[in-house]
Amino acid sequence: MYIKISNLNFKYKNADKPTILDFTFNISKGEVVSIFGQSGSGKSTILRLLAGLETPKKGTIEIDDKVMVDDNVFVLPEKRGVGMVFQDYALFPHMTVEENIKFGLTKMSKSEKKIRVDEVLNLVGMKEFKSRYPHELSGGQQQRIALARAIAPKPSLLLLDEPFSNLDADLQWKIRQDLKEILEKAGITSIFVTHDKEDSLAIADKVVVLEKGEIIKIGKANQIFKDN
Amino acid sequence: MFIIKSYKHKKDVNDLFKLRDIKTNVNMWSVLSFVVIVLIILPTLNISLKLLNETSENWPHIKEYLLIDYIINTATIVAFGGAFTMIIGTSLAWLITAFKFPMSKFFKWSLLLPLAVPPYVAGFTYHGILNYTGVIQTFLRNNTNINVNQSLFNIMNHKGAIFILTLVLYPYVFAIVRSFLAKQSADLIENSRVLGKSPMATFFKVVLPISRPAIVGGVSLVILEILNEYGLFNYFGISTFSVAIFRTWFGLSDLDSAIRLAAIVMIMVLMILLLEKLMRGRKRYSYTSSKIRPIQPIELKGIKRILATLYCSVIFGFGFLIPTIQLLHWALLTYREILNVKFLGYLYNSLRVTTIATVIIVVISILIANYARIKENILTKIYTRITILGYSIPGAVIAVAVMIFFIDIDNNTYVIRQAISHNSTRLFLSTSLVMLIFAYVIRFLGIGYNSIESGFDKIGKGYFEASRLLGMSVTKTFFKVDLPMIKPAIISGFILVFIDILKELPLTMILRTFNFHTLATKAYQYANDEMIHQAAISSLLIIFISAAMIFVLNMNMSKGGRKNVYKNK
Repeated sequence: MYIKISNLNFKYKNADKPTILDFTFNISKGEVVSIFGQSGSGKSTILRLLAGLETPKKGTIEIDDKVMVDDNVFVLPEKRGVGMVFQDYALFPHMTVEENIKFGLTKMSKSEKKIRVDEVLNLVGMKEFKSRYPHELSGGQQQRIALARAIAPKPSLLLLDEPFSNLDADLQWKIRQDLKEILEKAGITSIFVTHDKEDSLAIADKVVVLEKGEIIKIGKANQIFKDN
Repeated sequence: MFIIKSYKHKKDVNDLFKLRDIKTNVNMWSVLSFVVIVLIILPTLNISLKLLNETSENWPHIKEYLLIDYIINTATIVAFGGAFTMIIGTSLAWLITAFKFPMSKFFKWSLLLPLAVPPYVAGFTYHGILNYTGVIQTFLRNNTNINVNQSLFNIMNHKGAIFILTLVLYPYVFAIVRSFLAKQSADLIENSRVLGKSPMATFFKVVLPISRPAIVGGVSLVILEILNEYGLFNYFGISTFSVAIFRTWFGLSDLDSAIRLAAIVMIMVLMILLLEKLMRGRKRYSYTSSKIRPIQPIELKGIKRILATLYCSVIFGFGFLIPTIQLLHWALLTYREILNVKFLGYLYNSLRVTTIATVIIVVISILIANYARIKENILTKIYTRITILGYSIPGAVIAVAVMIFFIDIDNNTYVIRQAISHNSTRLFLSTSLVMLIFAYVIRFLGIGYNSIESGFDKIGKGYFEASRLLGMSVTKTFFKVDLPMIKPAIISGFILVFIDILKELPLTMILRTFNFHTLATKAYQYANDEMIHQAAISSLLIIFISAAMIFVLNMNMSKGGRKNVYKNK
């Protein structure tokens, strides 16, 4: 298995109940997985743990046979090779689209960077917006740039936190399709978090249903949502 | 039952000290923060231990006869000063926020200018205006033959001190309440009006109650400033605690009693801080959403227009314009005598120590604020408390603590220094400017810290996390992402600290090296030697530099407000 998560346990400092309880789950390379749950189910926390933004109380995470975290090891977020698209995109406001994307390309020559920026901008269909600033873009455009920025360094795992929550409802169907296409083209193992089963149905190969920090169902999207 | 409990406890301890976590938590930011915090807290701990020393023979005398005077003097001035600054500061803030009237745009920032006038400067200037040879009495004598009752024109008493302090300290309340009101929603006011309340009733029933936390915050700052004040009270001959600490220490050479007085002031300070917490109440009145429609000022009509302008003019006139014009006049009389190479030296000294200390404060503030936001835990909460502690400690107390601390260091390192070089003198650090700058840092760190922390609060943690996931370390993230985004907060912090240090008197007086003068000490020295005219140029320079900085600060803040697209875009 490409990504192995076993027995993950986590509690926020001020919470009295654990946020994540014995989370165990494996993902094969190239799979697109959706973590589905209501707000407060702990789904975003799983992403934060995978990214290294939180430290688990117990449990291990391995990516590509490398231990990211266990009782003795903690790989810092910048060393994990994990990309993330944040719910509010977090595009650096003082940098242009191009600078935002170049930001993560540290180990490349100037010309390599240029090529990679054009590649990912083509992928998300935003080539002509290269020199814009984030506040000059619409919500949907910002999301594409955030996606391009996360994909650019070729992460081994891509995380997307509620990718559709900040967009207008009538845009969602189109963007779902676009995202599905982009992820397929990029071929990156991805996990996205959502509270909308339509999202899971449209994009995910596999769905994990989370309730109060515990996995209650795992399976193919159409099987999971068959009953309701 | 007991066994289970202790087992659980042991497990928790293991969880706390995982090698993994120690490795990931020890980095440049955590180590430097720790070192700085220890340095800041050491002098205070050191002086607290000396409280256990036996009392000197002076102490019973001080306790029996003088202490009650110190308490009454300090408490009276604190009470009235606090009340008057509250009334003036709050009313001006509301007037400027809610109404348009002639010159209201100008008053919006110029009403902050009295902050540039150090209280001791305002004190001797008004004394100079009002005394027998002053401009008013001279004019009356020469033109109308009126000889006034001198006691009516004597400002060097409690009432005078309260008058001066109110005029130069109200901007604290004004600034805090105004910026609080600027963040309130217009809906609040309009709802009250729609529900049939007059503007007056709206002010008392809605605006005042919601502004309570801001008002209390502002008045607390005023009170801390009054407790800190030394120059004005000494010049006016009023024995407050700050003055008493000086006298006991230098007049009686009685350090132990001075430390005891300092301890009493600290108890008062802690009581005020506690009271502030209680009075702010449990309710939080601030909006979390940034998408509010701010209160739009409405045009005043008729006599109200004139009254509003008049009120602002009177406060601005007494707080800034009148003392500045008087000082300008005196400066014209004395510039030939005063402006020389020596004077340039004082200016250079002022700018040098102020700049060095301010830069250190800004750097430390950034260091600790960034570390505290990355690692939110009990330790960083304590760090934050310690960082802002210094601002509530009066200058005289910090001076005592820092001086004793440095003398102790010098004594304890003497042997080592002797071993290295035979020429070493017993006193080394305590006869250098390091001591003064160290004391400035402790006293004013809180000002810089608050400003920079609020800058970090504004941008949130999202950008930081995004940058980490794009492969940047904490330090690289800081320079590439955080620093450019908190620049406005850094500029504000720098300016606020700079003004405060430039005006500072008690620390500088005690901790400066031999023959080292700043603009502040020189102005005070001249005034104290009854050479008020000669004090004018130093005073004016302090006022002009500070006023220019307040102007820049105001521009910076309103620019920051307009450019505040960071958080939601």
